[in-house]
Amino acid sequence: MTTSRERILSNLRAARQPFAGIDPEGSPLPVVPQDDTSPGALLGRFLASAEKLACQLYQPPSPQQALDVVAGLLGEGPALAWDVNHIPLPGLEEVLKPRMLRPGQPQSDAQIGITGADAALAATGSLVLVSGSGRPRAASLLPPVHVAVLERARIVPDLESWFALQRQAGLDRWRAASHAIVISGPSRTADIAMTLIMGMHGPAELHIVIV
Amino acid sequence: MNITSNNFISLAKIALADEDQRASVDLGTTNAFDKRILAMGEFGEAHAEALRARGARAKRRALSRLPDLLEQAESKLAENGVRVLWALDGQEASQHVLDIIARHEVKRVVKSKSMVSEEIGLNGVLEGAGVEVVETDLGEFIVQLGHEPPSHIVAPVIHKSKESIRDLFVERLDMPPTDSAEEMTEFARRYLREKFLQADMGITGGNFIIAETGTLCLVTNEGNGRMVTSLPDVHVAVVGIEKIVETVEDYALLTQTLPRSATGQTMAVYTHLYNGPRCEGESDGPRHLYVILVDNGRSAIYQGAYAEALACIRCGACINACPVYRLTGGHAYGWVYPGPIGSVITPLLNGIESAKPLPHASSLCGVCKAVCPVDIDLPRMLLDLRADLDERGEVDFQWRLGLKLWAIVSAAPWLFRAGGRLARLFTGDNPPQRLPAPLSGWTRYRAFPPFAKQSFHQQWVSRRGRES
Repeated sequence: MTTSRERILSNLRAARQPFAGIDPEGSPLPVVPQDDTSPGALLGRFLASAEKLACQLYQPPSPQQALDVVAGLLGEGPALAWDVNHIPLPGLEEVLKPRMLRPGQPQSDAQIGITGADAALAATGSLVLVSGSGRPRAASLLPPVHVAVLERARIVPDLESWFALQRQAGLDRWRAASHAIVISGPSRTADIAMTLIMGMHGPAELHIVIV
Repeated sequence: MNITSNNFISLAKIALADEDQRASVDLGTTNAFDKRILAMGEFGEAHAEALRARGARAKRRALSRLPDLLEQAESKLAENGVRVLWALDGQEASQHVLDIIARHEVKRVVKSKSMVSEEIGLNGVLEGAGVEVVETDLGEFIVQLGHEPPSHIVAPVIHKSKESIRDLFVERLDMPPTDSAEEMTEFARRYLREKFLQADMGITGGNFIIAETGTLCLVTNEGNGRMVTSLPDVHVAVVGIEKIVETVEDYALLTQTLPRSATGQTMAVYTHLYNGPRCEGESDGPRHLYVILVDNGRSAIYQGAYAEALACIRCGACINACPVYRLTGGHAYGWVYPGPIGSVITPLLNGIESAKPLPHASSLCGVCKAVCPVDIDLPRMLLDLRADLDERGEVDFQWRLGLKLWAIVSAAPWLFRAGGRLARLFTGDNPPQRLPAPLSGWTRYRAFPPFAKQSFHQQWVSRRGRES
């Protein structure tokens, strides 16, 4: 008996190949053209794009002040966070410890989620978070407030250039991670009468602290 | 899902009489159409056209190598621990889901929006097997609650007013009455949060599968898609076989032109990439990830003259732009996919005999092609489908007779001239307000224009005489 897999593939192969002869594109065409990709220009564009998405942005001048910003946002917690080794903010552990979820407390009690970010896309104001050990997906999803600590040097021009970096490093290396999420602003819906509402299922607030 | 596409005319009449629905559809489509123009044209018309051309080539290149790319995607997915299943039709796809449910002893399923699952009627099958299935996209949740199908592939409740949604929540879920969209949304959020936390399986569709990496890709805005794929132990993605793209570069382009075309966003709030089930040491994400590749008529389309329809990335831009959809809304089309793309793929997937009016549900104005991010020639296909209907003898006797007469008259100049003279003689300066049957349909909504005193040909001859 032939399987459905074989039947589908043989149906497709029985066709006179549609659209034959379209070559891969030579030069890339970025969706958002950018002339200046110097670090300063990328930062500026990222800030402008993320602000349009209703992100709240912070550029504290020193690590201590960055810590103060995060501590201020934390309030009383309880917090759900990535392992501090994956968040580029020295001293965070002491600030976080008393405010973390108690062992056994349900994750959905968390009022704030703290993560790092693997990359940021200047063109669209997006954050890229790759899953892994010590980097729970829930931290950027379940709590109503998400705080991401982003290293300035991780801002790349756009999604195209982020994938170019993955290709350079070997796509198989990237594939080893189970999941990546590109986050562009707080969760939103406009399903009811086109009224824009933030925080449908994911966080209603996205704070990005740039260090 | 039942197919009622052959009732398009009567369903459209009902829709036209529903003022509330017309206002809602008009607001939603106009809004999305205007935002699309700003987003696609952000860097100028030439750039927008270049992006459309690139997108068109990326999807067509993938289609040209579809069987090879499906095999490549399958082996890459399998390498990463994803179980890949194939389904010739909806029944087989649903059976795969039921088998997975049995294997993992699943009781409660949460779903993210998936048009393929609507196409194969998956919810009905699962409910019939005693499994709780909850749609978690706000719009899909609302239509599930109201036991009606979505009326738009991106905005399922585009046809519903705030008041009708409030009444539904009050009636079905005992929501305290409110006129605030915020409060309704908050109510639904709390209700669905419980469902996410209790579910043991999540079902999603798939916007793209990248063949070279074996990556399943989604776009969502609300975060429900992330809940569905982060909290339950099992994630099942039901994906049409045409969703394959070749490279990460093609994907990067299309996953950005999709939201720009759909809602005018530069990116969806959440752009998801899944390479496999959770890895060693991860505290969340599914332990089991299944991808069901669904044919359900697609390989037949692939073999014919309408293969281009498989390039569609389901952004809904053609739907928002279509002057017919804007008046009738989606339910009149009688199945899952409305608007111009629905008028093409509904007859192709279900058989043209079950959707005879749809190829005619278009003014052929061409805006659907102009706004398509992958430049699908929808007007061409609508015309070809009309020709197919004619070949099968599926054209109305009146139309056939009328067009035959027209062909005879316009091929014989003396007859044409005589006809014109006759018409001028009988209508004179006061043309009749209404024509008699069988032409009465023509004057039901428009005034009959007076014939010119002289035919074009007579004017041409006399003017040339004057000039020379």
